[in-house]
Amino acid sequence: MTGSREVYESPPPLAPLIVERLLGRVRKPGRYAGGEWNSVSKDWSQVALKWCLAYPDLYEIGMSNLGLRILYEVLNDRPDRLAERCFAPDADLRRELRRAAGGPSVEAALPDVPLWSLETRRSLRDFDVVGLSLGYELVAANVLEMLHLAGIGLTTAERRPSDPLVVAGGSIVLNPEPFADFVDAVVLGEGEDVVIEISDVLESIGWHRRQTGSDGVLRRGVDRASALLALARIPGVYVPSLYRPRYLDDGRFDRLERMDSVAPERIHSRIADDFETTVRGIRQLVPNMAIVFDRAQIEVMRGCTRGCRFCQAGMQSRPLRERAPDVAVAAAEQILDATGYEEIGLTSLSTADYTYIREVGTELHRRRPDVTLSLPSTRVDAFTVQLVDAISQTGRKGGFTFAPEAGTQRMRDTINKGVSDEEIARTAGLAFERGWSSVKLYFMIGLPGETMEDVLGIAAISQRVLELGRRRHGGRAAVKAAISTFIPKVMTPFQWDGQDTKDEIEAKVGALRKAMHGKGLTMTWHDPQSSVLEAALGRGDRRLGAVIKRAWEMGAGLDAWDEHFDFSIWLGAFAAEGLDPAWYAQRDIPTGESLPWEHLAGGVSMEFLRRDRVRADAARTTPDCHWGPCSNCGAPAATGFACDTGTDGPRRLLVSIGDEGRAWRYPGAPGDAARAVGTRAADGTGANVDATRGQLRGWPYDLLGTEMQSKDAGLRGLASLVEAAGGESTG
Amino acid sequence: MSEVRQRWRLTFARDEDARYLSHLDAVHQWERAFRRARIPVATSEGFSPRPRLIFAAPLQLGMLAEHDLADLYMAERLTAADLRRRLIDGLPRGYRLVDIHDVWTGAPALAPQLSAADYRLTLFNVERPRLQEAVDRILAAERLQRVRRRESKTTTYDLRPLVLGLRCVEPDLTAHTETNRDTPAAGAAAAGATSAGATAAAGLGQDRAPMAGLWLRLRHSQDRGSGRPDEVVAALAEYLGLEIYAPADDTDDAAQTDDGRRLATGGGERSRPSALEVLRPIRERLWLVDEVD
Repeated sequence: MTGSREVYESPPPLAPLIVERLLGRVRKPGRYAGGEWNSVSKDWSQVALKWCLAYPDLYEIGMSNLGLRILYEVLNDRPDRLAERCFAPDADLRRELRRAAGGPSVEAALPDVPLWSLETRRSLRDFDVVGLSLGYELVAANVLEMLHLAGIGLTTAERRPSDPLVVAGGSIVLNPEPFADFVDAVVLGEGEDVVIEISDVLESIGWHRRQTGSDGVLRRGVDRASALLALARIPGVYVPSLYRPRYLDDGRFDRLERMDSVAPERIHSRIADDFETTVRGIRQLVPNMAIVFDRAQIEVMRGCTRGCRFCQAGMQSRPLRERAPDVAVAAAEQILDATGYEEIGLTSLSTADYTYIREVGTELHRRRPDVTLSLPSTRVDAFTVQLVDAISQTGRKGGFTFAPEAGTQRMRDTINKGVSDEEIARTAGLAFERGWSSVKLYFMIGLPGETMEDVLGIAAISQRVLELGRRRHGGRAAVKAAISTFIPKVMTPFQWDGQDTKDEIEAKVGALRKAMHGKGLTMTWHDPQSSVLEAALGRGDRRLGAVIKRAWEMGAGLDAWDEHFDFSIWLGAFAAEGLDPAWYAQRDIPTGESLPWEHLAGGVSMEFLRRDRVRADAARTTPDCHWGPCSNCGAPAATGFACDTGTDGPRRLLVSIGDEGRAWRYPGAPGDAARAVGTRAADGTGANVDATRGQLRGWPYDLLGTEMQSKDAGLRGLASLVEAAGGESTG
Repeated sequence: MSEVRQRWRLTFARDEDARYLSHLDAVHQWERAFRRARIPVATSEGFSPRPRLIFAAPLQLGMLAEHDLADLYMAERLTAADLRRRLIDGLPRGYRLVDIHDVWTGAPALAPQLSAADYRLTLFNVERPRLQEAVDRILAAERLQRVRRRESKTTTYDLRPLVLGLRCVEPDLTAHTETNRDTPAAGAAAAGATSAGATAAAGLGQDRAPMAGLWLRLRHSQDRGSGRPDEVVAALAEYLGLEIYAPADDTDDAAQTDDGRRLATGGGERSRPSALEVLRPIRERLWLVDEVD
């Protein structure tokens, strides 16, 4: 080694004056200014490989995302990597940027301004990788808008040699086909480890070296096609351009043709292998303005074994992994110290199911009595009420929220939300008794096999809950029923089921509205047009890329926001491409038909999904293996993980004992001597976040807003969840 | 409510990293910073106790500061040196400690003692001679009727007595030629520093729009009223026959008042033949009653 280190390319940032002038023209400049606590600005000349983590929705949503906070730290922990951030611009900045980029001329016109990263204010084009988080189908048009504003070619084919690689991850990538044209590669599953692997591969092949050739064209050290072939060898990385879909004459999907032998036939989603004992994402970003989930977050559990048949997050995040309680407590303290937050969320898909929730909640409260705890839960039972009651210090505002999901026992058995009317009543009764005078219930309509009787059951159970409230609180008692439309999600047992048509939904809602009358009983329902789009894109194939592009050209954008969503644009785009959204959203797909996403393997197996679909028809539940026997979901086989089930009593913790062939063993309950597991023992000091481990970290984009996913409520559900935040159950 | 054992007056500056905080967001950032630095701040009474840090005057979103004031009430006694050390490391990002001194805990509250505030800003899209004319006209005017909108109500008031001083100065955009976030201040790679400077200059050059600096001293008093620099700029723009491009109020923030700057928001479709842009507004300092007039 010589004394001089390699100096890397450091393209100039945007002129501060230009940024200042732009920010002077927008309503919430804090979204684009950067400079937050724990944000990291590195010297570009000292860093080989540069990521821009691009979140295709507004700052308030993107910054709430735990996956982003984790990957940001994972990449920035490495001295030879950096990660900056970029969020979708709101309409006002978008207008300014488009104008700057040659729109109608105005006074003192700004020069061409590309979309910039928050940290060092460089164009997205100057990065080596744009890491795109796909957490929700309705961000589709925002993805194109961001690429366009950044001056990056919209499709793999259109990208210039110097453009960055566009790599997507996130909770909806188990069917990334509608996005396939726009992304160079897709990371399936949790990304903590994969982002580092991708970075290392790209550096080794010289992707980060840009040079202007004799022909005046700026090129990278290796061409895009070669880089993609290299990435396709990494487990969990899917390169759509290496596959070509074939369709039958009648328009149905037939099969996927592989274009190169490097491309694997099936791509398995990745699982971070040290979740139990290592916490990543300690120095969490603290936003400079209020965001949707404005609190610190410590994940206590990943995966969910409840097996609700409509829930994509639950099905694809298996196997279930629980954080060792001492590790969780130590990390929570570290996160609080590093952020100064006054509130911490104990997150997972269903935190009341976390084996050590009592221990962790109690201990955290003992150590930090001034800090507010909050948790999402999908459980409907007394334990949840007691738990929320115990940790809630913010009084009883906002009401107690839980999600029976369906109105009758039969329907709840069909969706595997195996909770009885009695349990619902008992839970609500206890909540009223503990001081809440208002209860909010989440339900879905349009579920597979649903009859009008099931729909009206929603009114019946709501009435029953209200009467319980009246007994305790009299006229102050209130029940709010929030109704959403069922959206079939890929990689769930209901992936084959068509959505109800608009007329069917409206008939059901009309009948329900008539049945839901009386003082103290309110019902909210959201217009289902965006659910149709969500279902169509969610179950779509690669042909929808053209629809997304067309819709974006016709002005679609920020579709997750009511004030921007315009269904007529999307209908026009579908029509222009000769496709029918209803065919994608509402068709019952025979379980034998080829599916456009079948080459991508999530947590559970296709066999399990088919089997579970049959049980659903018979209204038979599938037990939760957390408490009972194994349901043979296929997750262990696919991921190489061993599972513990609850057959012989409470489930024990899984702790990795090293990298050797993903070996695992059960170390026993906390305090058990058997828990000493080599050098990576969870010693309660948090020291398990060790240096070597820190180098192998990743991408749990499928954890995007766990609260958001817990009911598949999407953005529409956010407002009510925020309302309910501050200690209440949100499930 | 914890007992107050000490009261410190902080003088602080706010720069780019904290510039776009609303007052409410700024309060949150300070509270989090104190929690990180484990500074034993006294808390207020009430249902949800808050740390007792009282700012002399809220800084509006987009405004920088050089010598702003706040009173910090402590639950434990610290030496000045100890507190200074903790604050230097423990302030929110974008804030810098200028000075601290102790104040008798029973002294009157800070905000009612304010008398005036000095500001400096750069106006983009106006030549200095023209601005000078407009400044002269304001200074010569006996009255300056302005309309203030607050929610749905509009009231008319006289801005003139609130303007204690007004003059044209050199535009101050020094921060824009400073190094960028990723380039260490000292020993930076020469290439990086030069390119940053060069692009800053390019940002100015490409527009070729004239600029002028403006310095203002405005009354800031609970009894006698407070002037806001953007109101003066609006009055200047009126004389100049220009519209204004300026930051919009963050409507979510109750601490902000709405007073006609709405003109600047949103409507990107309207064509403005020529619009005044306010760049880098800085509050230079706050004056207490016993310091001026």
